[in-house]
Amino acid sequence: MSIKVLVANRGEIACRVLRACTEAGHPTVAVCAANDQGSLFTELADETVVLNGDSIATTYLDTQQILQAARSTGASAVHPGFGFLSERADFARAVSEAGLIWIGPSPEAIERMGDKMTARQTMRNAGVPVIPGEEVEEEDEASALVALREASNRVGYPLLLKASSGGGGKGMRAVHRPEDFDQAAAGARREAVAAFGDGRIYIERLLSGSKHIEIQVLADQHGRTVHLGERECSVQRRHQKVFEEAPGPTMTPELREAMGQAAVAAAKAVNYVGAGTVEFLLAPTGEFFFLEMNTRIQVEHPVTELVTGVDIVREQLRIAQGEPMSCGDLFLRGHAIEVRLYAEDAANGFLPSIGPLLVFRPPEGPGIRLDTGVREGDAVTPDYDPMLAKLIVWAPSRDEALEKMRRALDDFVVLGTTTNLRFLRELCDAEEVVAGTTTTTTIDDRWPNGWKPHVEESTLIASLLAASTAETAGMHRAHATGSAPTGDIAPNPFTTLSRRFP
Amino acid sequence: MQHTFAGPDGEIEVELSKQGDEFSHQGHIARVHGERIHLTLPDGRTALAHVAKHGDVWWVHLNGHTFRWERLEPGSVSTANDGGLVAPMPGKVLEVFVKVGDTVVAGDALMVLEAMKMEHRIVAVHDGLVTAVHFGANEQVVQGAALLEIEESN
Repeated sequence: MSIKVLVANRGEIACRVLRACTEAGHPTVAVCAANDQGSLFTELADETVVLNGDSIATTYLDTQQILQAARSTGASAVHPGFGFLSERADFARAVSEAGLIWIGPSPEAIERMGDKMTARQTMRNAGVPVIPGEEVEEEDEASALVALREASNRVGYPLLLKASSGGGGKGMRAVHRPEDFDQAAAGARREAVAAFGDGRIYIERLLSGSKHIEIQVLADQHGRTVHLGERECSVQRRHQKVFEEAPGPTMTPELREAMGQAAVAAAKAVNYVGAGTVEFLLAPTGEFFFLEMNTRIQVEHPVTELVTGVDIVREQLRIAQGEPMSCGDLFLRGHAIEVRLYAEDAANGFLPSIGPLLVFRPPEGPGIRLDTGVREGDAVTPDYDPMLAKLIVWAPSRDEALEKMRRALDDFVVLGTTTNLRFLRELCDAEEVVAGTTTTTTIDDRWPNGWKPHVEESTLIASLLAASTAETAGMHRAHATGSAPTGDIAPNPFTTLSRRFP
Repeated sequence: MQHTFAGPDGEIEVELSKQGDEFSHQGHIARVHGERIHLTLPDGRTALAHVAKHGDVWWVHLNGHTFRWERLEPGSVSTANDGGLVAPMPGKVLEVFVKVGDTVVAGDALMVLEAMKMEHRIVAVHDGLVTAVHFGANEQVVQGAALLEIEESN
């Protein structure tokens, strides 16, 4: 049976979903904001509806416009990707009420897991261990700050402030000293209100030296709930993951089974259907604690796909159509690593950067996968998330996967916009990464005063020679992008020349 | 031929020699091949450089490194930051923690900027005296705007 799928997302994940739909024989519809017209994902879709509006709130988050687009194109299903509306229960409900298939879990499951404070309570009741901490239900700013401060004394330092509606590191603050608490709490609240329209904050003990381990689960409508093993995503900067792998380098079959069963129990506690991820902190003591459940496809899902052979997005489509999932018993093969390529200045506090992608030349070869929503000739603008691509490698062993990742990163050419490529490359040489002993504080511990690239003198001289030679030989005149605007604002993607098509 | 570039650690002059279709500098040799440059290092190793120019900036990829060299026309002055703190991208100032006349030590939070839906803390990179604050809370800033100035103390 064929369904017509509207993908309510943009960029890399929209491309991933659109391609999976095409492979499954489902016609596709993309929706995009005016500033995304001509983006890669719109070219992959069979049809594109342009959303009116000049902000994310009035385009990708406008449920009415997106439902209208589904009606006008005759779409029969909606895939939300990640971020945007993917964890909005009201949207899931509206999609179902419009008679469309929602490719995700039920609105009730999203609600119970999406509100992090409710999720903690649900998991506690289901017997899944949660991190010691306190929820503060106060909505009013002044009284919430007072209640948080009181709770902070009971939880103890160091602690972590988290937005109840949070995700992606937004509205999150680590606090090490009581004197920093008020400023951090106010900042976390403000960021949470801006990002999610909900300023409620809860407090967790900060478990230092812990690993971030998450379990991928799949549940179909025929009563089957399975886990697809773990991903380790400990390496984070500013609470955002940059380096993910499967299987976890220190995982044992016994622990995998215990965490897998806890994840399945968590999913069953909310009658979960579809693909989801249960995140845990694994303490140095070997104890693990529920962090949260992401009720959607996850950014780092490819590493699980490469070691299990399961196409998770394809399974999402199958499950949503009411078919049983196709994957059999868990079988892990080899090792996969993913790094996230961000438009950011790693040598300058990881601040986001913008600019044109004058050259965008990903690495190639066996065992290399690139999930991206951009191509050469596009521009990185401040309008959206600065993640440009995910580079994923697979090899028979962890050592070989790291070797392949180093080579792939060395071969990856991005010119025109500052990226974290070099940081990722040097990360692959970090002692903790090589040994597999990374924790959630590895980046801060290793580079307490910020990261700076290590450049050989000869490479530096050669780069200056290359720039001088290029200038003297007039290489910019031969290059089509040499005529790009020279102002401090990134060029409009529609005026940039030499665009490469998919 | 002489070229001057501004990089992360200041200005650098390059004296380029040309012989046939080979360019050289400090024992390193370059040959142009279409949009790429083939390099030979003094120890005999070879390397491939990808280059592209945007505005006055030459971007160079080489041996897994990406360089950003701003070419300075003879007699011109670098636009690089001279002690002032500039906005790394467009955004909005959320909070300002210092005022003119304050002394700060390296690492002090000076300002909070919101850009790309995240808050970014602008911190003092060295000890000094705040001599100017160009923006207040809730003001929009464009990329490259000088946010505040700090006179380095010795």
